[in-house]
Amino acid sequence: MAPPILHSPVQLSPAAALALSQQAPAFLRSSSSTVSSSPLSTLLSGPEKSEQWLQYENLIVSCLRTGDDQAAHQCLRRLVARFGDDNERVQALRGLVKEAEAQGNGALEEVLKEYNQILDENDTNIPIAKRRIALLRSMGRLSDAASALVQLLDFSPTDAEAWSELSDIYLSQGLYPQAIYAIEEVLVLAPNAWNIHARLGELQYMAATAPGVANGLYQKYMAEAVKRFARSVELCDDYLRGYYGLKLVSKRLLNDGAKATRQTDDSEFALPGTSTLERLNELATARLSEIVRHSAASDRGWRGYSEAEVAAARALLADDASAIER
Amino acid sequence: MVICILASPIIVIRSFGASRPQAQEASNTAMTLLSKTITAFGSLLLAHACYSAREHTALQSIRAATAATLTSSSTAATSLPVDIIIETIISTFIILLGLVLGTRPLRPLEWRVWAGKIEREGEEGFTDNAGAVDKDYMGNPFSVLESRPNFVDIRKQRKEFAEWVQKGDGKQGQ
Repeated sequence: MAPPILHSPVQLSPAAALALSQQAPAFLRSSSSTVSSSPLSTLLSGPEKSEQWLQYENLIVSCLRTGDDQAAHQCLRRLVARFGDDNERVQALRGLVKEAEAQGNGALEEVLKEYNQILDENDTNIPIAKRRIALLRSMGRLSDAASALVQLLDFSPTDAEAWSELSDIYLSQGLYPQAIYAIEEVLVLAPNAWNIHARLGELQYMAATAPGVANGLYQKYMAEAVKRFARSVELCDDYLRGYYGLKLVSKRLLNDGAKATRQTDDSEFALPGTSTLERLNELATARLSEIVRHSAASDRGWRGYSEAEVAAARALLADDASAIER
Repeated sequence: MVICILASPIIVIRSFGASRPQAQEASNTAMTLLSKTITAFGSLLLAHACYSAREHTALQSIRAATAATLTSSSTAATSLPVDIIIETIISTFIILLGLVLGTRPLRPLEWRVWAGKIEREGEEGFTDNAGAVDKDYMGNPFSVLESRPNFVDIRKQRKEFAEWVQKGDGKQGQ
């Protein structure tokens, strides 16, 4: 089944993106190509649907991804006809098309120059500012991208998406404390987001297992990771990612439980006791094996998990079983 | 209170359906048919009750008119016969039952149950009785915070897609 055209296509698999962009010609044919704002034609053609413009936007992204530039241009032309040349979102989409078609670094520099020009005229143009940051990152200028993003967040501090991007940029530079700080800001803005809780847990785990971490810091990160994963499964029943992280963290803590010296008196970051960790580990194992079992049988009501995640959970469980046999 | 009474069979039916998940798909279509039949039957009864009431009043007024010309003493205004009243009430309840049976499955109220349903069932969990995915279903609403569509690196995505296509072609060629 083709994925719905209404959702953002960024996270789709290549096959799904291909299916989506193959819908493009049919969609372009089925919707009228000219949009005029005169009242007479609005009367004749009926009310316009607001989803339609979202669909054009998503089609542009997925068509660019699959290399169907012609359809992308057609969608863009219709958006320009409807919203005008200087609409901020349309400007960003036009930039996106140019980025995708740019050959070599010179062309990219040209696009970047255009972005700078637009931002000189109006530096609160957030879509363009975001495109500029994405382009900088894509060109490998990570520190430039990070500082531009910090500037953007200075005047728009409630932008959860931007905080999340900042965290990702810091992570790619290996700056774990900064990445954790940025993702915590996302949690402040979206405290119920179970995937962000799991993400924070993963970041804490990565920071704890990075080479050259002091013992005290290691314990603090691990304790936080346990908390975050526990929170994510509290917010979402049968959350594979959360249970996976919980099992990973609790197993590791149990393994080095013997040699861990409990010297931190800091009660806020104190590790949970061994019995608690054992119970957490058992719970996570039980839930994960249930998820894996149901997904393997493809039971009704258990088909929402991605195959890669289920395979990873199965590998983790198998790893555990072989360790016990040894 | 009426809704409570009417909703109780639904809860029974729903829990029954949940206990036998394989049969749910078939029972969904059967349920739509059942609810439509019940609603149509109720409407028929209601229409019949209305028609009877109208006929009854027409008859009454004629009789009153003839009685007035004959005896000139007015008879007391008669109310509707009790069977028409009962028919109206029962038909209304039958229509209500049909409509309630035809509603889409209720959504979980608790956050963690709802979130778990999204993760566990995907879009299958959010379909109406006919099996079409709800229009407002969007998966995990917070997934945009990780995919970040406004920061998409389109050149990287293009490259990855081209590689995927090449790999797929290689597989087919073998």
